[in-house]
Amino acid sequence: MIKREVYEAAIFETIKKGATIISKDVKAAFEKAIEKETSVSAKEGLTDTLRSMELSEVKQNPLCPDTGWPIFYIKAGNESRIEGGFVGIEEAIRDAVARATKLGYLRATMKHPLTGDDPGNNIGMNIPYFTYKFVPGNSIEITYVAKGGGSECFGGTRHRIVAFADGLAGIKKCVIDNYIASTRAGAICPPSVLGIGIGGTANVAANLAKEAACLRTIGSKNPEPAFAKLEEELYDAINRLGIGIMGIGGDTSVLAVHIEYAHTHIAGIAVATSSNCMVARRAACRINDDNSVIQLDSPNWFGGR
Amino acid sequence: MSAYYLEGPLSEADVTKLNIGDVVYLSGSAFTCRSRFQRYIFDENNKFPFDLGDRNILIHTGIIAIRENNKWKLVSFMPTSSIRFEKWGARSIEEWNLRLICGKTTMGPKTAEMMRKRKCVHISPHSVSPNLWIDSIQIEGVHLREELGSIEAPWLLKLDKLGPFVVDMDCKGNNLYDEVDKTVAINKQKAYSNLGISPEFEYTKLY
Repeated sequence: MIKREVYEAAIFETIKKGATIISKDVKAAFEKAIEKETSVSAKEGLTDTLRSMELSEVKQNPLCPDTGWPIFYIKAGNESRIEGGFVGIEEAIRDAVARATKLGYLRATMKHPLTGDDPGNNIGMNIPYFTYKFVPGNSIEITYVAKGGGSECFGGTRHRIVAFADGLAGIKKCVIDNYIASTRAGAICPPSVLGIGIGGTANVAANLAKEAACLRTIGSKNPEPAFAKLEEELYDAINRLGIGIMGIGGDTSVLAVHIEYAHTHIAGIAVATSSNCMVARRAACRINDDNSVIQLDSPNWFGGR
Repeated sequence: MSAYYLEGPLSEADVTKLNIGDVVYLSGSAFTCRSRFQRYIFDENNKFPFDLGDRNILIHTGIIAIRENNKWKLVSFMPTSSIRFEKWGARSIEEWNLRLICGKTTMGPKTAEMMRKRKCVHISPHSVSPNLWIDSIQIEGVHLREELGSIEAPWLLKLDKLGPFVVDMDCKGNNLYDEVDKTVAINKQKAYSNLGISPEFEYTKLY
């Protein structure tokens, strides 16, 4: 039985970690980008960002003040036994978000959509937002994503229904055009992690795109060769566009391209793109039935990638 | 491209010398502003809550600040996207006598025209480096915090060589990203070609 006091503490630590500590894969992607960048300004921008992110761990302050939407992904073991059940987990998450906001690890960003009124603690209608996946086993894994407004509001999330007749060319054009439009003037804080969802209904494609952007390990490959090849082709093509960090021009325009797909009605193929900003904040933990807690380096949402 | 250390209040000469691509560090008095505050002033016709005096540096940002030992402590700072304030951009420059706006994503044509007319520039960061900036900022005060919420309220800041930021809109009507657009447009055609997207490709119209 997973005890309430154990998951309460683990959830708070995971939120704090997600907001303040750079993920290992993001750090590695920055180091690689800095090494190959030839633009002096872009190299300075990448280097400054990495230095600031490293300082966040020391100062225990947010990697970026826009901690955005608090979004949670919960991988629930089918045989897991939890004190208070999943309602207890959701209560603990709401309490931890409010506490992290009060302590300045999160910014009170969530407002009423019509009035702009500020609850002051990031708690409101449908926020935090929860997504579940059920898997064999008796542990649970909880991922916190701080989804910033830059990468969400300024063109980072888009979709188009592409005719089956238009094939791969249609899908590729949609991705390239979306990415260029959303990175202009640094709108989505590039170099971003680009997630692409292909197939399913439009909302399924959009969810897959968001999960691909926020939950995949940077640089991991889709296990199916056709999609792995498409990821690689798009990654190479986007990094030759010259967008650069914050859109000022440079060699690194995207940190990774991740694709997830669903089978679909081929009357029209939903192609969705979603981006996570360059600081790509997320953190995950696993809580086992024996109440041991493991902080994970990567969300493991797609099992091994 | 040159680097400038500017001290507010800024004079006309301070900003007319700036060209797109120049690097700027800011000192002096500034204030923060976001859409809830601009709606409060311009759409809801409320009185400006403090004497602006010659404070003519505006920063689009939503800071994180906590109260510690009866003083405000700045926890994090990053300029935010300016394009969403386009509706009120020109009016802000004119009525608040702004010489410089620090934000992100530049602004639209109406603001650009007012920048040209009233001599004002827009600058943006080329990194996400809150921790390299927060030691250059002191919080002087805040207004309307209860009414608008912490991040939408206008904060008064004292800056000490805050930067580097890049001039992306000068007061001659130039925009840095128009230049990047030209390069990207050429590279896009190469990308299409490498990805096997024919120049004749057109989407099948489904709706």
